[in-house]
Amino acid sequence: MKMSVRYCLKVVVIGCLCGIISAGCRTGRGKKGAGIVGGERDLAPGEEEFVLSERFVEGRRVTDVIFRNVQFKYDSYQIGDYEVSKIEEVADYMRRNSRANLICEGHCDERGSRVYNMSLGESRAHAVRAYLIGLNIESSRIQTRSYGEEKPLNAGHGESIWQLNRRVEFVLYR
Amino acid sequence: MARIKLILLVVCIPALPLAVYSATREIPVDKRGSRYIKLAVDLSELRIGGEGPAALFRSVLKKDLQRSGWFTIAERGGGTIAVLGSGGVSGGTLRVRCRVRNTLTGKDYLTGTFTERGMAGRKLAHTVADAIVLAIKNVRGIASTRIAMIGSHGTQKDVYICDADGGNFTRLTRKGAVCIAPNWAPDAESVIYTSFHGGFPDVYTVDLATKSLKRIASYPGLNAGADISPDGKSIVLTLSKDGNPDLYIMKRRKNRIVRLTRTRHAAEASPSWSPDGDEVVFVSDRSGSPQLYITGLTGRDQRRITFRGSENVSPDWGPDGRIAYSSRREGRYHICIISPRSLAGKRLTSEHVDHEDPSWAPDGRHIVYTQTAGYHSDLYILDTMGDPSIRLTTVKGNWYSPAWSP
Repeated sequence: MKMSVRYCLKVVVIGCLCGIISAGCRTGRGKKGAGIVGGERDLAPGEEEFVLSERFVEGRRVTDVIFRNVQFKYDSYQIGDYEVSKIEEVADYMRRNSRANLICEGHCDERGSRVYNMSLGESRAHAVRAYLIGLNIESSRIQTRSYGEEKPLNAGHGESIWQLNRRVEFVLYR
Repeated sequence: MARIKLILLVVCIPALPLAVYSATREIPVDKRGSRYIKLAVDLSELRIGGEGPAALFRSVLKKDLQRSGWFTIAERGGGTIAVLGSGGVSGGTLRVRCRVRNTLTGKDYLTGTFTERGMAGRKLAHTVADAIVLAIKNVRGIASTRIAMIGSHGTQKDVYICDADGGNFTRLTRKGAVCIAPNWAPDAESVIYTSFHGGFPDVYTVDLATKSLKRIASYPGLNAGADISPDGKSIVLTLSKDGNPDLYIMKRRKNRIVRLTRTRHAAEASPSWSPDGDEVVFVSDRSGSPQLYITGLTGRDQRRITFRGSENVSPDWGPDGRIAYSSRREGRYHICIISPRSLAGKRLTSEHVDHEDPSWAPDGRHIVYTQTAGYHSDLYILDTMGDPSIRLTTVKGNWYSPAWSP
């Protein structure tokens, strides 16, 4: 009798240890720095709400309303105080038109690396998108698209033109 | 007095042929205090000429040897190296038999027969030039390599390739859309790039032989700056699907994706693999301006490597371990190189124009880059050993974003 109790205890202890170890492995996905074991979601803290959903395919381009472009400083994706009202206008429209979906389209001026400008344009688009999400617009209604320096509003040169080209455009579908 | 003159003359006479000898056989090139010798190659005993592919072979071979950076072309009988042999076209094949000999030692570096079906004189010349470079200098030649680039005509921006000497210009994409940032697969049989033809920036590969496209990445948001690992099994690229432009590694066959950077308030871009495939150099603006960083493949050990210049972008990690990149100094972009361990670096360009997008040749010596002056862009090849830069693109249009094949 004593022998089998000791045996059972051993089994239970070993079983618990195995359980603990395997539980630790399963939560590896969410751990910071566990880059190699990448899963579907490998997010930095606070990122969940800004994840992009699938690109939407339906709807027709909204052309009866014009939205002002959000402008940016050189090498920056900070949204200036004077730009906020432009984003609020779009938020307003999207609240009143619940079927409208939006692509925030980020652009840069011609200076600098083309590849870095793709990321910079994308950062600008995401900054505007994040602001809209902060205004309670559903994140799944907003996509991003960066053109980097590839599609300037004005193909000319000089500071006043570069300033125009550093922008996020609002492309709406309904 | 006359006797002294006579003695001087007698003494000097033997010196004359010696002076002539060294003038015709070796041309020292002095650059920034370092001295290296170009070998003079005599092609006059290579009996191949006439018309058509044979003549093309000869002229391309001559240029390839010069462009390697290791040789000059000597006058008849005046080279340290002599290329002897013959060749011609027969039965639809171009055949060249040659022997490469050191005229001072009598040593033969190379003897062989080279053939090319379809009488492709240009291609055969590249093959022979590279064989000569390898036999004499024991380094890789670049004559058979190619350069991919973007060519811009109006709103169409397509991927093109050409031979390393600028010949054989071929257009690879034809979707009428914007293409960006081509890079080579390690087997040099396809080019990976970003295209907008699907409506969003997505990553594709184009097969050089068939021109067929394969879609590689079309996640929501940005897919750009893709670079294939040296073993061909992984692709590092920039994606923004998780809310921010960050670096990811796609494992091709395992269909898995690993996130490398998690900078919520910074953008990453332009990754480039190390030659051993263990590290990636990339651009990040986490410090406030775009700078270069290196990371291992777990993303844990990231370190900044550039501290001079207001912007440091477009890195390309070369075969001998040095990283070439573009640095903004005094209002202009210049090509610089840096050793990632010691952080010792050097600026390679000086003209008051923009020098961007460097890409190393597989000889670890030459770099192709975009030069923009007056808002017009062409590709140039610079030599890290000091030879003057050569312009590569002479066809009308804007040419930029070069990538040198493996």
